Amino acid sequence: MPRPATRTKAVDHLMSDITAIDPEKIKVILATDCGSTTTKAILIQFVDGAYRQTHRGEAPTTVEKPFADVTMGVINSVTEIGELAGRRLVGDDGRIISPATETEGCDIYISTSSAGGGLQMMVAGVIAEMTAASAKRAALGAGSIVMDVIAANDGRRPHDQIQRIRDLRPDMILISGGTDGGTTDKVVQIAELVAPAKPQPRFGSDYEMPIIYAGNKDARDAVSSVFDEGGFDLQIVDNLRPVLERENLSPARDKIHDIFLEHVMAQAPGYDKLMGWTGAPIMPTPGAVGDILQTVARLQGINVVGVDIGGATTDVFSVFDETFNRTVSANLGMSYSISNVCAEATMPNVLRWVPFDMDERELRNHVKNKMIRPTTIPQTKEALMFEQAVAREALRLAYKQHKEFATTLKGVQQQRTVGDTFSQETGGMTIVNNMKLDLLVASGGVLSHAPRMHQTAMLLIDAFEPEGVTMLAKDSIFMMPHLGVLASVHPKAAEQVFDRDCLIYLGTCVCAKGSPKPGKLCFKYELSGSLTDSGEIAGGELKLIEMGMDDRAKIILTPARGIDLGAGPGKRVEKEVRGGTVGLILDGRGRSLSLPEDRATCQATVQGWLDSLDVYAEEKEAVAV
Amino acid sequence: MKTVLTLLLVVASAAWTTHSFAADITLAPPTHVSAEDVPNDIGTQVLIKWHASPDEENAGTRSLDGYAIYRKIAQTSEGLESIGEAGADASELGFPANFDFEDTQPIGSVSYGRTKFVDENVEAGNSYLYAVAATGPGGTYSPISVASSPVTAEMQWFNGGKFWFLIITAVISFVIIAFVVIAKKGGEIRVRKIAGLEAVSEAVGRATEMGKPVLFVPGILDINDIQTVAGITVLSNVAKTSARYDAKLRVPTARSLVMTTARETVEAAYLGEGRPDAYNENDIYYLTDEQFGYTAGVQGVMVRERPAACFYMGAFYAESLILAETANSIGSIQIAGTAMPSQLPFFVAACDYTLIGEEFFAASAYLSNDPEQLGSLKGQDIGKIMAAGLLVVGCVLATIAVTSESRTAQIAELYIKDNILGADGLVPNADKVAQIDAELDAQAQQPHAGGGGGS
Repeated sequence: MPRPATRTKAVDHLMSDITAIDPEKIKVILATDCGSTTTKAILIQFVDGAYRQTHRGEAPTTVEKPFADVTMGVINSVTEIGELAGRRLVGDDGRIISPATETEGCDIYISTSSAGGGLQMMVAGVIAEMTAASAKRAALGAGSIVMDVIAANDGRRPHDQIQRIRDLRPDMILISGGTDGGTTDKVVQIAELVAPAKPQPRFGSDYEMPIIYAGNKDARDAVSSVFDEGGFDLQIVDNLRPVLERENLSPARDKIHDIFLEHVMAQAPGYDKLMGWTGAPIMPTPGAVGDILQTVARLQGINVVGVDIGGATTDVFSVFDETFNRTVSANLGMSYSISNVCAEATMPNVLRWVPFDMDERELRNHVKNKMIRPTTIPQTKEALMFEQAVAREALRLAYKQHKEFATTLKGVQQQRTVGDTFSQETGGMTIVNNMKLDLLVASGGVLSHAPRMHQTAMLLIDAFEPEGVTMLAKDSIFMMPHLGVLASVHPKAAEQVFDRDCLIYLGTCVCAKGSPKPGKLCFKYELSGSLTDSGEIAGGELKLIEMGMDDRAKIILTPARGIDLGAGPGKRVEKEVRGGTVGLILDGRGRSLSLPEDRATCQATVQGWLDSLDVYAEEKEAVAV
Repeated sequence: MKTVLTLLLVVASAAWTTHSFAADITLAPPTHVSAEDVPNDIGTQVLIKWHASPDEENAGTRSLDGYAIYRKIAQTSEGLESIGEAGADASELGFPANFDFEDTQPIGSVSYGRTKFVDENVEAGNSYLYAVAATGPGGTYSPISVASSPVTAEMQWFNGGKFWFLIITAVISFVIIAFVVIAKKGGEIRVRKIAGLEAVSEAVGRATEMGKPVLFVPGILDINDIQTVAGITVLSNVAKTSARYDAKLRVPTARSLVMTTARETVEAAYLGEGRPDAYNENDIYYLTDEQFGYTAGVQGVMVRERPAACFYMGAFYAESLILAETANSIGSIQIAGTAMPSQLPFFVAACDYTLIGEEFFAASAYLSNDPEQLGSLKGQDIGKIMAAGLLVVGCVLATIAVTSESRTAQIAELYIKDNILGADGLVPNADKVAQIDAELDAQAQQPHAGGGGGS
C-alpha cells in the first residue's frame, strides 16, 4: 500500500533539530562534502561580527572497500581542519564534538554527498514536454542525475520502454502525468510499464524500489493498485503539475530528499552513522549547490548562473527571476567525457579557439590519453590552450542544453490582443536571458585551477557569451555544496561566507550585444569612483582595465547605434561595477560571438583577443605541473 | 404662270438632285489612311490610322458624325485572292471609285475626333486593304479614302512588349528550382518559425494531459475553396500528432465533401503513425451546410466535451468570433488559420495563435519539410521580395518625379510603369519619352510666377 506524503521518523527528527536551532547561537560550523574520491571539510566561524570560512581540510573518501565507512574519510578531513585551526573537533569516541566550547567542537555539523555516483533517478510523465519535463525539473532540482525520461510520446514502443526501465538501476522513480482531473488512462499506462519491468534498486537487494507518484490525484487509487503486487515502495505526493499553467515541484523534491536519506544513504556504507552526526539532512551535492545559488539570488535580488565542470559531467544551474533550473550534461566533461566533447563539438570548432596550428593526430591521442588517465594535467602551454579550448566547447554545449531545458511552461493558454498579430511567441521559450544575468559563477577543475584567473574569465566569456554588465566569479575551493546545506539552517551565514570567502571575484565584464563593425565604434565608456578612465571600444576589440578586488566604480556606457548594453539598442547605461583578480573587461566583439571561417584569420583574431587580456602571459606561476 | 411653274420644276429638280448627291458626297474625306499589323499579338488585329477630315474642324456647325472603316481581303493566307466583305466585284482588289455606301457594311465606326481604329477580327496570314470615309447625319458620306497598301496580319511567337514579364518569370523560376535543388541536396532551407504551427504539438499535448479531445474546425466553405484545402493539410498534421499522443480528435464539418476528404486524411495520418486501431470515422462528421446551424452545432460540442485544444483552419465568416470566444471560455488552447482579412482581428484577439494569410498557405511546406515544397516556398518569397522592392522603388521614383521634375526620375518611373509592369517591352516608347520632354520644355519656358521683385 502506498504511504502518505509524510516525512519519515529520521527526517522528522532532523527537521525538528533544525527548527530547534537558534541561528544566533551558531558560531562554529563544520561542513563536509563527501565526493566520490575526496571528502572536503570546511570550518566556518563567527569572526569580527561576520561569518567567515577559516580553515579547510581534505581526505580521501572511504565509502568503498576496504574501508567501507564514509565516516572515516570525514573524520580524517575534520581532523586535518582541527589541527590547522588548533581546535579539537573529533572526540575520543570518534564522533564530532558538538556543541562548541571556546576551544573545541562545533555548534552544528552538516554534510552533502555525491559519493557512489550521487542520486540517480528515472522519471516518467505523459507528455515529454509537459508533465515529464516537470518531473525532470523536480528530480534535477533535488540534485539527482536523471538516467532516462519515459513518456507516452517519447517515440518508443511499450516493450522498448519496459526493457529500458528494466536495464536501468535507479535509486528511485518519479512518476507524474495528467493535471488534477485530467487524464487517468495514460498515467495508469505509465505505471503499467514500470510495474512489470520490476526495476532493481542500485544499492541493496533487500529494499523495495521507491516510487514517488506526483501525478493526477484522480489516478492515485488506480496507480496504487498497479503497484499492489509488491516489490515497490509507493509514496504519493501532490501533483507536480496540478494545472498546466503552474508547477508545484516542492512536494516531489522534498520527498526525493527524504528517500535519498532514508533509502539511498542508508544503504551506503557508514551513512547511517553519518546521518546521526549531522544537524541537518544530508543533501545530494548538486542539490546543495542549487540551494545556495537560489538563496544568494533571492537575498541579493540578482540573476545567477553557476557551472560546475567535472571529468564526466557538467552541471549548469541558473536562477532567473527566482526560477531555479539545473541541468546535468552527462556526456560533457574534461576527462572521462572529453572524447565525447570533441565528437559533439567537432574538432574544427575546438581548434578555432587555438591560435596556432596543431597536429590533429597528436590532439586525438592527447584526448584519448586524457580519457583513460583522467588525472593528467597539461604539461605544456600548448596542451593547456588546447584543453581550455575543449573546455570552452564543453561549457558552450552544456549551456546550450541548459537554455533548451530552462523554459517557460508548455501547454499553457496564451492571452492575446490584436497588438500581438505579428509577435506571437510559443510557449516553452527559454527563460535564460544573458542580458539579465548579473553573476556568473564557475567551479570545476579546469576553471578553478586554471594557472591564471584571466584564463578562467576568458573561458567564461567565450563559452557563456554574457551580455551587458555581468560579474564573473569562481568558487575558490568548491565550497558551494557546504553552503547550500548551511543555507537551510542559517541563510545569513551562508550568504556571508558565499560572498566573502566562497567566491573569488574575477571582475566585471561589459559585453556588447549586436553586430558591431570591426574597427568602428562599438561603445564609449566613462569610469568614475575608485577608478577614473574613459575611452572607446571598437568592434571586435577586447580591453582589460585593471581594477582591484576592493575597487568599485560607476560606469557610464554609451553604445553605438544598434548595440545593446542592457537598456536597449543605442541606449545609455549607467551601472556600478566591481573589480576582481582580473579587472574590468570591455568586450566589443558583439553577440552572438562569431569567429572568422578562414583558419589563418581565425588564429590571428583569437591571438589578438588572448593578447588583449594577457591570458597566457609568461609569469612565474606559469603552468601547473 | 407657265414661267413660274417652270421655275418651280427647275428648283424642285435641283433640290432633288442636290439631295441625291448630298447623300453620297457632301463631306471632305479623311486623308493619309494607313494600316499596320498590331505587333505582339496572335495575328488577329490590324491598326488603321488616318488624318482627320478637314470638315472635322467645323464639327460643331458642320454635320460630321465620325468615320466608317471598310475592309477588303486582298489575299488569303493560302494565296487566293478574295472578293472581300465589301461586296465589290470578285475580280476587283481595290475599292471601286463608285463605292456604294448603301450596300456596303463598314467593319467598324468611330466618332469624330478619333483617328485610329483597331480591327480585331482579322485572320493571321491574310492581307487586307482598308478604306475610311467620314460620315455625317442622315447617311451622308465623304468619298472613301483608301490606304496606300494592303496589310498582312501576322502572329508573333513572342510578345516583345511583355519581355520583362519573361525575365521576372525566368528569375523566379530559376530561384525556385535552385532552392529545390539545394533542399534536395541536403542544403538548409531556413523557414522562420511560425508560432501557430510550432504550437500544434503543444495544443495536442495539452489535450492529452487534460484527458480532453482535440477539436478541428475546417471552415464553412466546400473543398473547392483553397482555404479549405490548406486547412485539410494542417488537419493531416494535427491527426498525426493526435495519433502519436493518443488524443481523441473531433472534426465536425459543414460540407459533406469536406467530411469525406477529412476522413481520408485522418485515416491516412493514423495509418502513417502506426495507429489504425485508434482511428474512428465517426469522430469526423457532418453537421449542416447552414452557417449558423453549423456554428451552433460546434458550440454545442465545445460546451459538452470541453476540448482542450481547438483548431480553426479554413474559411470563416461571422462565426469566427462566436467559436473563438466559446472555446476561450472553456479554457482551450486555440490555433486559427485563415486568409479572410475581415476575420483575422477576431481570431488574433481571441485565439492563442493565428496563422495569417500566407502563413496558412505555407503550412503544408512548413509541416511536411518536403524539399520541393520548401524550395518552392523560398522561391516564392524571393519573388515577393522583388515585387515589394519594385513597389518601393516605383513609389520613390514617382514621388521624386512629381516633386523635382527630374527627367531621369520621370523616365525611370515611365520605364517601371510601362515597360517592366506594362507592355512596352525592353526599350522605352519614344513617343512617351518625347511627350515627357515636351512637357518639361513647356514647363521650362513658363515664366516663374511671383518670382519678380518690385522696383
